[in-house]
Formats: sequence, C-alpha cells, structure tokens
Amino acid sequence: MDRRQLVKWLKEPLKMSNKYSLHVVYFCTGCGIIEIPPSITARWDAERFGVKPVATPRQANLFLITGYVSLKTLKPIIRTYEQMPEPKYTVALGSCPIDGGMYWDSYNTINHLDKYIPIDGYIAGCMPRPEAIFTGITHLWTLIDEGKADGYERYRERYQEYRSNQERLYGQLEWPPLYTGRDDDV
Amino acid sequence: MLEAVLIVAFGGALLTYLVGRWSAKGRDYFALALWVVILGMTSYLHPGKPRVSTFYPGFLGNDLQLRVTSLSWLFAIIVASISVLVIIYSFRYIKGHEKSNLYYLLLLLVNGGMLGVTLSGDFLSFYVFWEIASWSTFLLISFNQGRALAAGLRYVVMSVIGSGAMLFGMLSLYSSFGTLDLADLSEHLAGAGGEYVLFIFLLFLVSFGIKNAIIPFHTWLPPAHSEAPAPFSAVLSGVLIKMGTYGMLLIFYLVAGAKIFLGLGTGIWSFHSILSGLAAVTIVLPSFVAILQNDAKRMLAWSTVGQAGYIVLGISFGTRLAVAGGIFHFLNHALFKSLLFMSIGAVERKTSTRDLNDLGGLVKRTPVLFIATLVGVAGLIGVPLTNGFFSKWMIYKTLILDGNPLLAFAALIGTWGTILYSYKLIHNVFFGQLPEKYRKVTRSSFSTYAPMVILAVAIIFFGIFPGFVLGEVSHVTTTLGFPPLDVELWGLSSDTGMVNTLNLLAAFVIVAAVVWFVFKSGAESPKVAQDDSYTAGAPVPEGKFTYTADFYGPLERVISPYLKDRIDIFYGGLIDFTEFLSDTVRRMYTGYVGTYVAYILALLAVVLLVQLGWSPW
Amino acid sequence: MVAMKVAGLVFSPIIAVLTGLLLTGASRKMVARVEWRYGPPLLQPFIDMVKLFFQRAPSHGEVFDYGLVISLSGSIVLLLFLPIGHLCPLGGGGGLLVIIYLMLIPPLGIATSGGEGANPYISIGVSRKLMLGLGYEVTLILVLLSVMSEYNTISILKVVQAQSESGWSLFSWPLVIPGIAYLLIMPAILGVKPFDVASAPQEISSGSHAEYGGKYLAFVTVGGGLSEFIGVALFVNLFLGGPSLPGAFTLPAGALGVFLGVILFLVKVAFVFSLNVMVSALFPRLRVEGAVKYLWGWPALIGLIGTIVVWAL
Repeated sequence: MDRRQLVKWLKEPLKMSNKYSLHVVYFCTGCGIIEIPPSITARWDAERFGVKPVATPRQANLFLITGYVSLKTLKPIIRTYEQMPEPKYTVALGSCPIDGGMYWDSYNTINHLDKYIPIDGYIAGCMPRPEAIFTGITHLWTLIDEGKADGYERYRERYQEYRSNQERLYGQLEWPPLYTGRDDDV
Repeated sequence: MLEAVLIVAFGGALLTYLVGRWSAKGRDYFALALWVVILGMTSYLHPGKPRVSTFYPGFLGNDLQLRVTSLSWLFAIIVASISVLVIIYSFRYIKGHEKSNLYYLLLLLVNGGMLGVTLSGDFLSFYVFWEIASWSTFLLISFNQGRALAAGLRYVVMSVIGSGAMLFGMLSLYSSFGTLDLADLSEHLAGAGGEYVLFIFLLFLVSFGIKNAIIPFHTWLPPAHSEAPAPFSAVLSGVLIKMGTYGMLLIFYLVAGAKIFLGLGTGIWSFHSILSGLAAVTIVLPSFVAILQNDAKRMLAWSTVGQAGYIVLGISFGTRLAVAGGIFHFLNHALFKSLLFMSIGAVERKTSTRDLNDLGGLVKRTPVLFIATLVGVAGLIGVPLTNGFFSKWMIYKTLILDGNPLLAFAALIGTWGTILYSYKLIHNVFFGQLPEKYRKVTRSSFSTYAPMVILAVAIIFFGIFPGFVLGEVSHVTTTLGFPPLDVELWGLSSDTGMVNTLNLLAAFVIVAAVVWFVFKSGAESPKVAQDDSYTAGAPVPEGKFTYTADFYGPLERVISPYLKDRIDIFYGGLIDFTEFLSDTVRRMYTGYVGTYVAYILALLAVVLLVQLGWSPW
Repeated sequence: MVAMKVAGLVFSPIIAVLTGLLLTGASRKMVARVEWRYGPPLLQPFIDMVKLFFQRAPSHGEVFDYGLVISLSGSIVLLLFLPIGHLCPLGGGGGLLVIIYLMLIPPLGIATSGGEGANPYISIGVSRKLMLGLGYEVTLILVLLSVMSEYNTISILKVVQAQSESGWSLFSWPLVIPGIAYLLIMPAILGVKPFDVASAPQEISSGSHAEYGGKYLAFVTVGGGLSEFIGVALFVNLFLGGPSLPGAFTLPAGALGVFLGVILFLVKVAFVFSLNVMVSALFPRLRVEGAVKYLWGWPALIGLIGTIVVWAL
C-alpha cells in the first residue's frame, strides 16, 4: 500500500472500503455464468481484488447480472436488487442485458434493463472473458472514486418512475413499494 | 399456628366450592385470598428451631404431629407460592368451564395435601396427606376426559403401587420400633442393621421414586403432564413431583441420617452410587427423548423427568455441595417449569393447538409471552445469570472434584439435550413466519401474564442474587448434617474455586452496553416486514415459508432407534401377560354345571388318592 | 495486580477481536495458497468490516437486534474468563464450568436473533448448528472433565499454572489421550470445512447469516472470529501450557514477560489454527448425519478412554 492510498484510506474510509470489498451476488440467467467460475478460481482469482461471491443479497453490495433478462427473470432481479443494503452497485455482463443481444426480437426479452433497475456499468462482449470482467471491476473502482456509481441514489430519487415501469410489465407487484416518498426514506 | 394453616387450607377448599355455587368471580377471589393468607402464615412459620405440635393425640398409640423444620419450611413456602400464582393463572384459563367449581376444589385439595405432607411430623399423617394429594391429582389429571382418562389411570395405578410400598414400609417400621414419629424413628434406625435399613430404603424409594419419576418409574409422567389442564401441569411439574424429593430427603437424611445413607455398601455398588447412576440415566435419556416430541406439553413433561434427575443426582450423590445444589435446583425447577407450562397453556388457549409443527411466528403477536418463555427456557438451560445456572454449577463442581467424572458427563450432556429441545420449543412456537391463521391472535389478559412475569423476574433475581436462597438452603443442609456453606449474596466462596455472579453481571452489563453503543453508531437500519425475506427473488409463499416440521430430522434419524421407551413397553407387556393369565383363569368358569361337578370330582379323587398313600411329588 | 486486571479488561477483548479477524484473513489467504491462488490481502476482513459497518442493512425487529448484541457480548464476556497469556481479568470466578456455559450464549444469541428473521434457511442453519454442537460437545465435555479431574481443579488458571511447572499436558501421560480427542473435534468446534454444515453458503445460503447484511453481518463476522479464537485458545490453555515455554525455559518477570507471554500465546494459537485451516482446505463438507456419526465415533471413544484412564489412575 503506497502513501497516496494510505492518505485516501484516512480521508475516505467509506469509499475505499466499498471499492476494495465488493461482495457479489450473481444473477445467473444465461451463458454469462460460465465465465464466473474461472474468474473466481485459481486461474484468475477474483478474491485478490476483494471480490467475493456471497450467499444472499443481504450480504452483497455488487449485483452482477450475467446474461439475458426475460420477463420472468426480471421480477426476481428487481426483488434481489431491492433487498441489497445500500450502498450497492449493479453491473450487467454481456450484450444481452444491454440491448437484448441475439435475442433482441424475442417476445419476452427485456431489451432495456436500465428502465427497471439502475445499472452502474455494462461489460460488453458475448460473453466477456474474465479479463474483461476485471477491467469492468477496476472501472467500477474509478466510478466509485469519482462518485459516479450512484445507481442506488438514482433509484431512490426516481423510484416512482422505476416502479411504474415495473408495474407496466407486471401489473400489481407482490411486494409493497420500497420507498414511500416520505422524508424518512433517506 | 401449624394446625391453623392446614385448617385454613382444607376448610377453605370446601368453602371455595360452596362459594362457587353462588358466584364464579367470588370463588376466584376467595381462593386467591385464601392462599395469600396461607402464604403469609407459612412465611411466618419460618423456624428458628424446629417446632412441633400434636393435633390428634393417641391414635394407635401414636400422637399425630405437625412439625416444621428448615427443610419442610422451604418446601412449604414453594408449595404456597406456586399455588398462589397458579390460582391467579387459573382465573382466565378455567373461566366458563362447566366443572370449574370441582376444578377449584380439587386444586386447593392438592395444594393443601402437599402443604400437609411437608408439615407432617410423623409418617401416619404424612401418609394421609400424601393420599389426599394423590387422589385429587388423579381426578385433576383426568379432568379433560378422553385421552386424559387413560393418562389418569396410568397415574393412579403407579401411585397406588407407590402408596402400597410406603404403607408396607411404614407398617414394618411400626412393628419393629413401635413408633411412627420422625424424630423417634431416627434414633431407632441409627441402631438398626444394614439389611433392614436397605429394605426400608427400597420400599420408600419405590414410593418416592414413582412420585419423582426416576427412570424405571417414570412412565406415568409424560401423559399425565401433557393431558392435565395447563395450570395444574404447572403444579404437577413445579411442586407435586417434588414431594418425592422431599420424601427422599426426609427418609435418607432426616430419618436415617447422612451417615447411614452414604455408608450403605461400598464403592460403586453402594446404595447411593447406584441411585446416582439411575439419576444420571434419568437425566440423559429423557432429555434426548424430549427432542423427538412434537407436542409442546409432552416435551416439557419429558424435560421434567430429566430435570428431576438433576435433583435426585444431587441428593443421592451426598456431598455438601451436591445436596445443596439438588435442593436449590428443586426450587429453580419449580419456578421455570411452572412458567413454561403456563406459557404453553396460554399459547394453547389462544391458538387451540399445542402441536409444535403447526405453530410459529407468535413473537410478533405476544411479545410479553415470548420474553417470559425465553427467560424460562434460559433458566431451564442454565444460562449464566439465571437461577438454573447456579444450581447446576454446584452439582457439576462437586461431581468433578469429589469423585465421578462420568456422572458429571451425564449431567453436562443432559444440558445439551436441554438446549436442543428448548430451542425447538421457542423456535417452533414463537419464531419463523407468522401464519395467516394466527394473524388475529390477541394478547392474553392480565391475570394470565402476571404470574408468568412474576416467575420470570424471580428467575432472573435468584440468578443474580443466589445468596438469598442459598442462605436458606444452607440452613437446610446444616439440619441434614452437613457443614454450612460459605454463602455470599452474590454466590459462593470456597477454597477450590468460587463463583461470583457480581463479576458476571458487571462484565455482562458493561460489555453489552459498549457493544450496543457500537451497534447503534453504525449505519441506521430500516425496519422491514416479515415477508421481505431472502427467497432467491421469489415472493414469499403464503403459509409455507417455515421450517418447523422435522426440526432436528437428521439427528432424530440417528438417535431415535436407541430411544424407544423400553420400560414402558415392558410394563405394557406385563399388563398383557396379566390379562392373558386372568383370561385363562376365567375360562375355567364355563357356566355349565357339568364342568363344575367334574372339577369337584377331580379334586375329591386327588384328595382320596393322597389319603391312600399316593405321593405325586 | 490491579493494573494487570485493568490491562486485561481493556486489552484481552481488543487482542481477541483483532486476532480473530486476522485469523479469518489468514485462513482465507492460506486456503487460497493451497488452491494455487494469490488470495486476498491479509487485512481483507478489516476492509470488509469497515464497509459493512456503514451499510444500511434492514432490521427485522427488536429481537433481531438484541439477540445479536447479546451474542457478541457473550463472546466478549467469555474472553474475560479465558486466559490470554497472562491476561485473565476474571479468571478466578467459576473456572471451566462457567466457560462451558458462556460458550452457549453466542450461538443461542444468534439463534434468537435469527428466529425473528423469519427465514427457513436461518432455521435450518440454527438447527444444524445445534445438532453439530451436540455432536462435538460429547467429546469436548469428556476432554474438559479429564483435564479437570487430572489437575483436581475447575479453575483454568490453575491448569495453566500447573503446566508451567510440570510441562505441557499434550505431551504428558495420560492427558495426551484427551488432547488427541480435542484435536480430532477441533474443526467442528471452529465450524470450518468438513463441519461447516451450519453455515454452508452454497447449500442453505449461509444458514443463520442469511438475513444479516451491513452491520449485522459485521457483528456476526466478528463473533465468528472470536468463537474461532476461543476454540483454539481453550486448547492452547489446556494442552499447550498457555503462555509458558517448553522445558526449562522461563519467561522474564514484569511487564516484558507479560508482553512476551501474550505474543507466545498468540503464536501458539496461530499455529494450531493453521492446522485446522489445512484440514478445512482439503476436505469436502460432511452431511449432518455424517458429521454427528463421525463425532460420536472415534473422537468420543478416545475421549471416553481418556476420561476413564484419568479417573482410574
């Protein structure tokens, strides 16, 4: 750890710890999951960056959506995202969550995931290799440093919009709104 | 004064019945007032030295006596206190029942009988009060009819055997020494031979062992406790079975004396070692059987068998700390087990089930009940700073230092069994998702809560200040022939390691305060509803999202083959065999005159042949 | 003497918390190296703690909070009764029996807290934890009873004292038998790999930790580190002579001696802990039945033999 880093740690422990302790919950909807085991095991070893898979969304602060999102799987994605404690970051992996990828014209593919939950960054590719994932992670560090990874804040501020988008797809959702719009939400 | 207590108790019981004919509410308050008076009188009896009074001189050449010693006072005060609390609890529980008058009469008779047992000064009056308590108990166990009748029948059969054994022992004592007075007997028995003492001990052990549910005699207890009305289960478990403990202390230590009791036989084949071994088995097996139960009250009943094992272990091991620990544990058990039966009773009344697979989530509806039950369970496990910890600590310590690590092992592993079933009880009743059908459960009334809260406070209080009770217990063990304990308000001091609740309490309060402060200084946490729970993204399925059935499934599959109640099966076999024998004998009576004539002729023929000099043997 | 007590009261929880977290980090690093990975930084658990502490994690109610606080307080109170080197502020009161009972409070606190979390995974985790506890406790109790009977005391301080005079228990007859039994069950006490059924992340979503996030997760992680530390420290105190050096060597008196004693103690803890980490890196997870059958098999038998030998001698 060099001197600049140490000063940063003392100045902004919150930001630094958020950067270097990314606990990941994966949402494995498609072929993206195939790239995850190599990236966390001996060949590429994500744990050296502090990136570690965890069991439940409650314990996580990074949400990796790996692969295409269908009408059916979007609902658990929203639910999982809402259950994660703040601050939380979302990264979508592969071209499918960006614009539907090769399934773009299917009747039940979600083409614009960021209409339903905020996405902090995309990693393009079909599928992106582990190196690309790590590049994505380091880019996320920069975003966190610059304060641009603020998806959860956007979600809170514009919750009505996101919620109405979600309800346009599903009608009435099974769970009550996460934010009621009163002051005590913040 | 001594007679006055019993006159108030028994006269009051009958009066309560009469008052009940006139007004139910009046009856409730009358019964309560009665036993508050009795509690006051009993506490006034507190003996500086033993006091004796004769209430019926010259019965069969004996004076029927009442007497109060430190030992009997301790038991009497517990009987009176638990009775008061149970009467308060009964207000709501038995309200509107068609036979509530009978219930009150019987309950007060049982309580009066137990008070009489503790205050008796000779075996004859002891026996009389014992029987009053036993028979009223039978009627109360069977109070709910149906399955309760079978449970009551089981109890009454065992109880009659016990009473018979006691009567036999008393007659033997009377014919040998010509007296039944406890004080006189102790002088006579000191000079008696070892075999005679053993004979007397065995007879009384059968009687008191059945009451106290030591393992070969325990089979009546689980059905009786689970089928009786909840407040009476509290009495049964809290004090009634402890009459067996009292009897054992009486016969082993007061009548015979510690020297005779501990000197009967040598090594591991001595009487008290074998009894300790039985007690150890009584601790371990029932604690594990309780894990397998799915009926809350039946689980608590098996737990009672196990905890009674600790008490008997303490008494039979026979060192100063062990006996003190056993007596202290009796007192603690009376507190927490009454509390637990009351709380399960309240749950059953609210949800009309006590099936552990069917309950859940009640912590959100009845928080006070939950906290009271949690304290009771903590006492049962013996978590530090509750009363159960201290008594168990005394028993363990003496078992380790004065002899037998294997007995200590049994006692400690029994505690782990206790943890498992206690958590199952708490979890399946109060934790998990609140099912739709219990969303409307309301809080219980004040008269249901009040006794439980009092008991919970007492559990914590005696856990933090064990010295209050230990002083009394030390008096008792002194009268039983042991040197006094070095009691302090905060615990015990002795040369081989002391325990001090002040250290524990201070450490715990300070540490918890610091931890709480740190906890609060973290990021604030929004409250979420119970259905906002991790389900891998799916919505929580309605009414199915709990894990209660088969809670310790893997463990049950490992241990259940070893935990069949073989003794119960043996008794069942005995009953079947007796029925078979009787049936065979019945077949002789065919109802046909010719058969009987044939019997007569055959008998005559045999008699004639014998007369003629034929010898068949 | 008073200064020593105060120092113990302040420092032993701090030392234990730091060591516990450091051991967690070290075990992650060691497992990574066994798997031919580079592994996280050694201080990764501390980074995680800082992050978790400031996350807005949801709470399920009062019992959810209080249970957790009680659990961690129980661990820390237990540390005050456990000698760490020469630091043992409350060692005189109650001895090993109190330690056995205080060891119950952390899991029961978590169990109570998790109960209000109202998630079946939590219930399964707690039920497995308690079953596993019943499994290893059979042997643990036998081991502790052998030690207590051998030294004829229930005070852990006296056990440590006796070893500094007569040599470490692990290398003395007959206490070597319970020592081996303790080593055999230690992974179960620490809850590491062959015996991590209770917190299996892949199987039951980390069991009783399923609903914990943010500062709740930080607290249970600290508590977990502490319970690992306690499980190892108990072994070091009972069988490896606490802070004493082997043979004829002795530590210097005074403050330096206390300091060196604590360091030596922590070195022993780290060594024994790394043995367990090696075991956990190599073996797959057992099922509950398998774990209970293993724990009630050879370890319990060896423990029983140890108790009987100690009793008979």
